[in-house]
Formats: sequence, C-alpha cells, structure tokens
Amino acid sequence: MKVIIGFEIHEQLATKTKLYCDSPTNYREVEPNTNVCEVCTGMPGAKPYPMNQDAIDAAIEIALMLNCEIVRDPIYIQRKHYDYPDLPSGYQRTSLPIGIKGELNGVGIWEVHLEEDPGKYDPLSGKVDYNRSGVPLVEIVTAPDMHSPEEARSFLRELTKVLHYTGKVRPEGGTMRMDTNISLEGGARVEIKNINSVKGAYRALKFEIARQKNLRKRGIIVKRETRAFLETQMITRSMRTKETAEDYRYIPDPDIPPLLITEEKIKQIKSLMPEAPHLKLSRFMEQYGLSRDDAWAITSEIDMADAFEEVAKLYGKPGPAASFFRHIVKKVLGYNDLSFRESGLSGKAIAELLSLRDSGKITDAGAEQVVRTLVKQPGDVRRIIEKKRLIRIDEDHVLEKAVKEVLEENPGAVKDYKSGKAEAMNFIIGKVMAKTRGRADPKVVRKLLIKELG
Amino acid sequence: MVEVTALTDEVQEKVAKYLDRARREDGDINALIELNPGAEQAAKEVEKKIDSGKGGRLAGYVVAVKSNINVMGLRATCASKTLENYVSPYDATVIQRIKKEDGIILGMTNMDEFACGSSGETSYFGETQNPRAKGRIPGGSSSGSAVAVAAGFCDVALGSDTGGSIRNPASHCGVVGFKPSYGRVSRYGLIDLAMSLEQIGPFANNVRDAALLLEVIAGHDPKEGTTIKDQFQGYTDNLSADLDGWKIGFAREFEEFTEPAIVRVIKRGLDRLSSNGAEVVEIALPNLDKALPTYYLTVFVEFFSATRKYDGRRYGYKIEDVCGREVLRRIMLGRYISQKEYSGRYYKKALQFRSLIKRELLHALEAVDVIAGPTVPKLPHMLGEKIEDPLVMYGYDVLTVPTNLAGIPAGVVNVGRIKGVPVGMQIQGRPLDEQKVLNAMHALEKD
Repeated sequence: MKVIIGFEIHEQLATKTKLYCDSPTNYREVEPNTNVCEVCTGMPGAKPYPMNQDAIDAAIEIALMLNCEIVRDPIYIQRKHYDYPDLPSGYQRTSLPIGIKGELNGVGIWEVHLEEDPGKYDPLSGKVDYNRSGVPLVEIVTAPDMHSPEEARSFLRELTKVLHYTGKVRPEGGTMRMDTNISLEGGARVEIKNINSVKGAYRALKFEIARQKNLRKRGIIVKRETRAFLETQMITRSMRTKETAEDYRYIPDPDIPPLLITEEKIKQIKSLMPEAPHLKLSRFMEQYGLSRDDAWAITSEIDMADAFEEVAKLYGKPGPAASFFRHIVKKVLGYNDLSFRESGLSGKAIAELLSLRDSGKITDAGAEQVVRTLVKQPGDVRRIIEKKRLIRIDEDHVLEKAVKEVLEENPGAVKDYKSGKAEAMNFIIGKVMAKTRGRADPKVVRKLLIKELG
Repeated sequence: MVEVTALTDEVQEKVAKYLDRARREDGDINALIELNPGAEQAAKEVEKKIDSGKGGRLAGYVVAVKSNINVMGLRATCASKTLENYVSPYDATVIQRIKKEDGIILGMTNMDEFACGSSGETSYFGETQNPRAKGRIPGGSSSGSAVAVAAGFCDVALGSDTGGSIRNPASHCGVVGFKPSYGRVSRYGLIDLAMSLEQIGPFANNVRDAALLLEVIAGHDPKEGTTIKDQFQGYTDNLSADLDGWKIGFAREFEEFTEPAIVRVIKRGLDRLSSNGAEVVEIALPNLDKALPTYYLTVFVEFFSATRKYDGRRYGYKIEDVCGREVLRRIMLGRYISQKEYSGRYYKKALQFRSLIKRELLHALEAVDVIAGPTVPKLPHMLGEKIEDPLVMYGYDVLTVPTNLAGIPAGVVNVGRIKGVPVGMQIQGRPLDEQKVLNAMHALEKD
C-alpha cells in the first residue's frame, strides 16, 4: 500500500540575539526568565524591533542550500493567533515564504520561512519560561514526496547535514522539531505533532502506518485529524479532528514592515555560502577518485570535508587519505563521541601524520594512537610520537626477541597453528603488536613468525 | 485661560502649583487617573540643571501623559479594569525623549477605555468633564490629556490618535492638538488600539508649544520598525504664519457631513488663512463616505489581535470578562471578521479601500499645500445624554479617520465658538510635511 509522507520542520537559528529584540538566545545556560525584555514577554505597548538581519540572512542561505527560489516580492510577517500559556502576546509572528520551490535528494521543498519560538510552558508547575520566547526559527515545509519511514529518515538525516553545513543552526543539535503529514493511499491525511528527533519521526511514522493499516483491516475509515506523538510511549494520540480545526486568523503584522530581499543580498549570500553536501560528495568522487562510501563518510561533516581537502593538497594522495579518514579518524571520533569540529583535529596534523607513516617512521597502529591522543589534547604530531615512543621498530633483534617471547607465552596458539588452524596466526600477530605497542610492522612480524614456526 | 507658561516661574513652584490645582479641581473634572509622585523631585533636579545652564529643550515644561503610554513606575491602565494594576516596567521612547530634554511628567490622564471612544465617557474610572464647555463631553479618546491642558493642570500633554483621538478632544476643548505622519513618532511603549493607524502626538495651549513637544518626541527609533529615517528640521525654528503663495484645499464633501453652524465657523477660519496670503481652492474627496467603514473594520481586526495578550494569565483579568461594552463590541466584531471565511469579505476589502482613500487624499494634496476643514461634524453632546447607537457615535469620526488611513499629518486649532462650545479647524498636510500643517495652524492662531 502506497504511503505518502511530508514534513514541517522547525530548527533554531544560531543568532546571538532574538528575532525581534536584543535579548540573548543562550537560554539553555541561564536561569528561567532572565534572557527577557518587554518585547519578548509581550508587555503592553512593547513593539518588535526591526527583524534580526542575521536571522534573515540565515534563512536565505538555508533556502538557497535547499535549491529554493528566493521570493522577491515584499514578504509580509503574519500574526498567527492561538491561545496558549507559552505565547505572551496571544499570537506568533511568522513570515510568508522566503524561499519556495526547492528540492533536496528528490524531495520537494515547498517553502522556507522564518518565525519566532514561543516560551516554554510546564503544565505540571503551571510556570512559563520566556527565555526561549522570540528565538528565531526556520521552518521548512516539504512536499509529500517520501513513501516509507526509511525514506523519511534518510531525508531528515540529509537535511540535518545541510543545515549544519551552513553553520547557521545550533551546532549542539537537538533543537529540531517537526510535524509530519502521513496518509495511506486513498485514506485521509493525518498530521502528527510534537516530534523532536529524526529517530522520533521514524518511530512515529512506523507506529502511525501500523495504526492506520489496522483500522483499515477492521473496516474503519481513517479520519482527517491531528495527533500528538508521545515519545516515551512511542505512540500517537488524537488531538483534534478536522471539525474542530483551529482558525489562526492570520493578519499581516502592522508593527513590522514587509521584508524585501534584493538581488545583491542573494548574490552576496551565494558567494559566501558553502557547497551543499550532495554536490560536495559528487565532486569528491570525481576530483579525488573516491568511492561513494569514502566520499559519503568524509562529507558527513563540513569541517571534516574541509580538512580532507587540506590533507589531499598537503599530502597529495587522496585515496589513502580518504581511507584513513573513513577507517581511522571516524572510528576514533565515534569512540570518543565527538564531531570533527569538536575534536580539534586539523588537516595539517593529519597530513603530517600520513607522511610520517608513509616514510616508515610509524606504523598504521601508531598513527591511530596519535589520532587518539590528538582528540584528547591537541599537540604537535612529532612530539607526540617521540613522547609516546611510537617510532616504528625496525631493528630485527628487538622484533625477534618479542616474537620468541610471544611464542613461549602462547603455546596453545602455536599448537593450533601447527595443527592447521591458519587463523591462529592472526592471534599471534596481535599479541606481538600488543607487546610492541603497535610499533611493529605487522607484515614484518608475519614474515618472522612464518620463519620461526616453519 | 492659563497664565502659567514655561520658564516664567521657578520650576519647582510651577510644578507645585499644577499639582495643587490638580488636587483641588480634578475631583470634579476627572482628567487624571494618577499623579506622578516623583514630579516634585524631578522639578528640583531640572531646576538645578537650568541654574547651571544645562537645561534641555523641555526644561521646566510639565507634561501630562495619556494612560496608554508606558511611563516607568506609573500605571498605564488604558482606563480599563483589565490593566488597573499594571505598573509600567519601562519608558516608552517618547517618554525617554521627554525626560532626556528635562520635561517633567505630571501624571497619567483619563481616556476612553483602550482608546475605544470619541467622547471620554467609556473610562473605567468615570467620564471626564469639558472645562471649556460645561456639561458637555470633552471628546476622546485622549479626553484627559486635552482637558488637563484646558484646565491648566500642565503645560502640554501627550495623546494618541488612531482615528481622531487627539484632534477630536482638541476641537471640543479648544486646545491645540497634533497627529503626526505615520512613522514620524515612535509607537514603542504605546499600548495598541490599531497599530497601522495610530501615532502619539502633543496637546498644548499654543502651536509653538505643540511644535516643541513634537520635535522632541519625533524621529527614527531603532526599536520601532515603522518609524521613518527621514531627517526633519526644527519645527519651532521654522514656524511662520506667512502663507504667501499657498494653496489651501477645502473639500465640498466636508459640508455634506457637517452641521451648518460649524461650517460657518470653519469658513471664517478659511478667511483668516486667506488674509495671511493663501488662496483657498475647492477640492473633491468623493470617497470620503467610505472612510468610516474602512476605518472601523481595520480597527476591529487589529484591536482583536492586540488584546489577545490580556488573557487573564498575566494581568489579573481576562479583558472580555471585565471590559466595557464598546471595548467588548470591538473585540467581538474583530474576532468575527478576522475568521478565515470572512476575512476576504471584510478585512481584505478594508485594506483595498484604504489604498483608495489614501490615493485620493495624496492626489488632492498634490494640487494644494494643505487641506483645511472641520474636525468634528457636530458639537459635543451633553454628558449623561447616552448615545446607545454605536453608528451615531462613530459618526463623530468621519472627518478625522481619513487622515489616519492615509498616514498623513494633521493638526487642530480653535477658530471660534458656537454658544460657547469651542470649534477647532483641522489642517491636513502631505506625508512628513508636519511643518506646513504647523505653519497654517500658527497663522490661524496668530490672528
């Protein structure tokens, strides 16, 4: 049965101040209701300041990155009225589309626009924290072009990547919120609100498809309605049906003149904006001859992609460099739960490391140890190699001694090998590598072992 | 009439005199909701500055403020139970500018509730008397500000004008009132009635004082996106009654709407303008009859939106639970016509008519320097003579609302009396050309 899925995605923009006032946006780090003023708490008589230019620029850049056309007519800011404790004025300011007719990975982008975040209401205590009130959000509305939870998930992952490429959204993540529309062929459209992560979206869709299929099996017609996703229980629950749909009574906000985006502004943003990840991926494959998997891994993060390009330039061998990034760098980052940007790794250090490895000064295992050290404490590559005594062991007598010791300590493995179990060899090589703390060349060790064991 | 003028008395003495008079006389008049407990202290400091030669442009001026403008520490009640306990936590931009130039805030004035009214009768704190036409309404909605000036409680006052709320009471109380071009004065700190129409403006006993207060409060405000960046020259420096070579427009439609006695007084005013060198020419404003419905539809929708914050969660009361009938009527109508299914039929249509009316006025102003005419089509009714039909009440506004729909400047100055009741002439000018309006007003009062 054909499934049709679309999204409305909200992401906070990483501006210093709020959308319509000068209050700071770092609300996570401060006490409730301290990053506020009369504007973002909607005090009687307060008026919105002119729109935050950084937020406008960020929305334009995101729209361009999503291959949108930028709207050149006056863009009105509208008041969307609804009654909820987190809305200090009883309406939310939301712009008409800034970008339209975009596309990402085959999914249509209907529009990109700007709006303000409401405050945060805690129904248990009945308290509202207005620190978040007025933080700029970009809303991205997709066409209903996805046909399975898996497709939806991979789109959301790609979108997250694009947003982070721009550097205009909160780098720490976890600020994406979305609503999804889903219908099964021939059925009514159901909207699911309150989804806070890619994983949540996937689960909500899985649940909702199962729910709708079950209803059909029992001959019940799926109603057009709005449901809420309850993350802890991984289910959706009905909020309201079409008959009780809200009327937001949109009016253009009389306090805010419409936004006019000039051709120069678009040109300026285009000239400064990063290459989109999917374009970078194809370019890496073509320009550096990388496999799709290598290119995919490296372009997962813009800082890593930039570092790779630096390494390719300084070190000169993109293929081996890519393999090092994908297998060693990503492994160490994953192990430490760091992004490349957070790790402090640089293209220059990695290029130097690869050159030292190629010249035989250190082994692959040694190189990995340097990366592990660097992500904990940035430093000079050569100094780390010296300090940690990672220089490759080339003296035969040192290696022979280590091999002999390992064979004496592991008679069982030796017996296994001699009785025809070839994989015992890898175990023994591993033991020699451990004894030399990775400073031995495994190929040389293998040769020595074969000689020794006959 | 008031004989106290700025800079002739010692400031402290003057403030004390005003406060004393207000305490003695306002019990009957009811122009003030709250006096500023810091007024005497402020006077002391201003006097010190004057003595050391550092007084600002408003040094010694005592200013009364309409209760819909935020003055830190004073109550901005909007004359409504809804906000009876709302103490402003900040100064409106106009108040910052007045304080910076050493104006002294006398207190907060009475008004029609949330500026919804043209009579001064809808206040939660009771109606205001007209000191210049005893027993009659003072007009509104800036009733208390006009009356505070007329009764001699202050030198100048601030009002707000959404569809005539400064000009109407100025006319009925025989004082000078001025509504600036939209965007000329910051609305930051003005509590909303209809955001796309209103401006803060001055009341005074004479055009020069009005011009002075206007030039202090006018100008671009980086915190208010609808203010205009245009530089303006000093209004007082360029004040002149010489109208040589001017063309003054008088619309024949004015006579259709206005009581004949008022028209006669206005025509005498036109004669005065002619005697100052101007030529009076007839102009046509055929869409004048569309202004009132256009205006009120716009007000209802914007006011409905503006009052959503009074939901009972923050300010004690939910507005619909405690407000008067006129405020409730406007909210309910706004709620109704802003619905998705009706917005196209009413609100969007109102926006189209608004452009039409604006075009018509701007076109007329291409041929003349200013338009002169009556302010209010009828005399103020007697207090206690309840007007139950809102359409009759709205009829007071027919000549003042087009100005706001077009965003142009307009001022009112007294040109005569009918059986003792003051009649003000309205001068409307081109967008941002406050000076010409002030000069025409000056010529009228000079006589």
